[in-house]
Amino acid sequence: MPKQELDGVAQFDLALQIVGLILAEGDKTVAELSEIFEVSEKAILRAVNAIAQSEDLTRCETHFYLNDDALADGYVSFSSGSSTLAGPPKLSNRQSSALAIGLEYLAAMPQFAGNTDIAALRELFTTGDAPAVKLPESRLVRQIQAIQEALETETALECEYQNQLGERSSRVVDPLRLDFLGRHHYLRGYCHLTAQVRSFRLDRILKLERLQQPISEVARNSAVPEEVFGQSDQEHLVQLEVQPEAAEIFWNFPTVNEPKLSGDKLVGEIRIGQLESLPRHIVRYGGMVKVLAPAEAKELVRAFAIKTREAKVG
Amino acid sequence: MASQSPAERLFTLTCCLLAAPVVGLSKQDIFASVMGYQGVESTDALEKLFDRDKKALRSLGVQLEVVSFDAFEDAENQRYRLAKGDFTWPKELQLTPAQLGILELAGRAWNNQQFAQSARSGIGRLKSRGMVEVDRQLSFIAPRILARHAAIEPLTTAIENQEMVIFEYRKPDGSRRLRELAPLKLRLIQGEWVLLAKEASEIKNFLVRRIISKVKNTGAGFAAVAKEEIDAAEADLIDFTNSQVARLTTAADSEAFWHFGGESTEVELNYMDEALLAEDLLEFGSEVTVISPASLAKRIEQALEQVVISHA
Repeated sequence: MPKQELDGVAQFDLALQIVGLILAEGDKTVAELSEIFEVSEKAILRAVNAIAQSEDLTRCETHFYLNDDALADGYVSFSSGSSTLAGPPKLSNRQSSALAIGLEYLAAMPQFAGNTDIAALRELFTTGDAPAVKLPESRLVRQIQAIQEALETETALECEYQNQLGERSSRVVDPLRLDFLGRHHYLRGYCHLTAQVRSFRLDRILKLERLQQPISEVARNSAVPEEVFGQSDQEHLVQLEVQPEAAEIFWNFPTVNEPKLSGDKLVGEIRIGQLESLPRHIVRYGGMVKVLAPAEAKELVRAFAIKTREAKVG
Repeated sequence: MASQSPAERLFTLTCCLLAAPVVGLSKQDIFASVMGYQGVESTDALEKLFDRDKKALRSLGVQLEVVSFDAFEDAENQRYRLAKGDFTWPKELQLTPAQLGILELAGRAWNNQQFAQSARSGIGRLKSRGMVEVDRQLSFIAPRILARHAAIEPLTTAIENQEMVIFEYRKPDGSRRLRELAPLKLRLIQGEWVLLAKEASEIKNFLVRRIISKVKNTGAGFAAVAKEEIDAAEADLIDFTNSQVARLTTAADSEAFWHFGGESTEVELNYMDEALLAEDLLEFGSEVTVISPASLAKRIEQALEQVVISHA
């Protein structure tokens, strides 16, 4: 996790955590504490200062005695003075909820099906280990397994991929990360065909084969962009009017601005590479999402719906 | 101005309260003992600062109890102490490096969204118990929760505080009504946020995406619901989902064919909500044909009709 800068309340919480760890385990270096708590060394020093400055003015009692010489050498070392504080309080409801929901999310991932650690943690964080819905995703599980093995061994993959326009291609990909976003898994990796870091939705990978070749140096030095959305040279802006139930469409595409409430609907713009790939994303909401502009996009959506309807009528 | 930073002041306040006698400390005792309250310009500013600090402590799970020894005592003479047990961890709590690795992953899934900081600090507290070794074998997996529904935040807070909420809910048939209920748990099922809540005397499931108004706290609390009752309701939903079966055919070698397993053109699916399944199938256009149930096929037909009308 990236190291975080903290506000006053979080800084206080960190001070409590440092007290707990030092009293339990003995002295640590500032660098070790920074690593353990995943905050900057500056944040550690501020928290240590809060511990050192703590005293009861009425009783003239110092709560903790900091070893200043050790700190000058990069070590955090202190002993209890008058304080009975031995560490942070138990997890707050909010902290427990945050972890419980995160665990719930992991439990829904096929690669964690039957994971006993997750089951034990879910019991601990009060969600209970609720049974899961059975899903026919053996192909997905096999793909995830192959990708995880390739990531662990830092070896390349060969995949046959079908994009959302139905175009197929075969390519070698150096895997860098496996993302699970919303309901979909994405392989993030350096694509040798396009010489770029790209995202591949797993259900669109038709064939996947592990190769013996190690991932390239270029891949090793590539950063994985935070967003899975690809960049396109030709982007179209599409204006939508959306019922609240379908608001997720604004989270599944890059947006221009935050959508605005107009009456009881949301109005906003999404960016899309190819208009031809738009209709399926609109039609799925069955009238809850309406394209306002451009007219070309509106017509494409209408044509897709009519074609589908005719195919179903026979 | 106060001569301590907020973190220093909160830390000193906590230490002073922990060392307080059973009867607690009066506000005057606290103001005199904690350096951060010295030199605050006005009484009003001092009171506001103390109120902010109490709120900050509560947000971190430190409950400040107000002790009154006389029912007629005025607020000025109330005394404060920390709730017993807040600093007492369960003795048996011990996590393995693999479990800590999973918890880190669970925290990372928040990806700087609303609960990311709480998850991070929660893991920090666990590590402060001496459990610092983390198995990061899973570091190349990047799960990311999509929890941008405005309802998630107030629902989570209401669940934490056992507070009744009220909101407007719209069913797929378009009918809408106000629901006043006791929120119990948020779950993610098949990628959808589901609220488990007690309405009147029955535990029901609500799809968060169908909440179409702001979630408001009614100000009323509710009695805790037994874990067994919640477990039974969850099991009912899973049983229901597993009993709902849709049969489809997909066009050979089409995207739908590969999406639904890539092994056969005949597919059987379990589903929790027919309208949600219809959405997933509509995305594949003419590549999918519903065999059963008939209600699903009808729903898809109507949805297509709606799209044609709204894009005329």
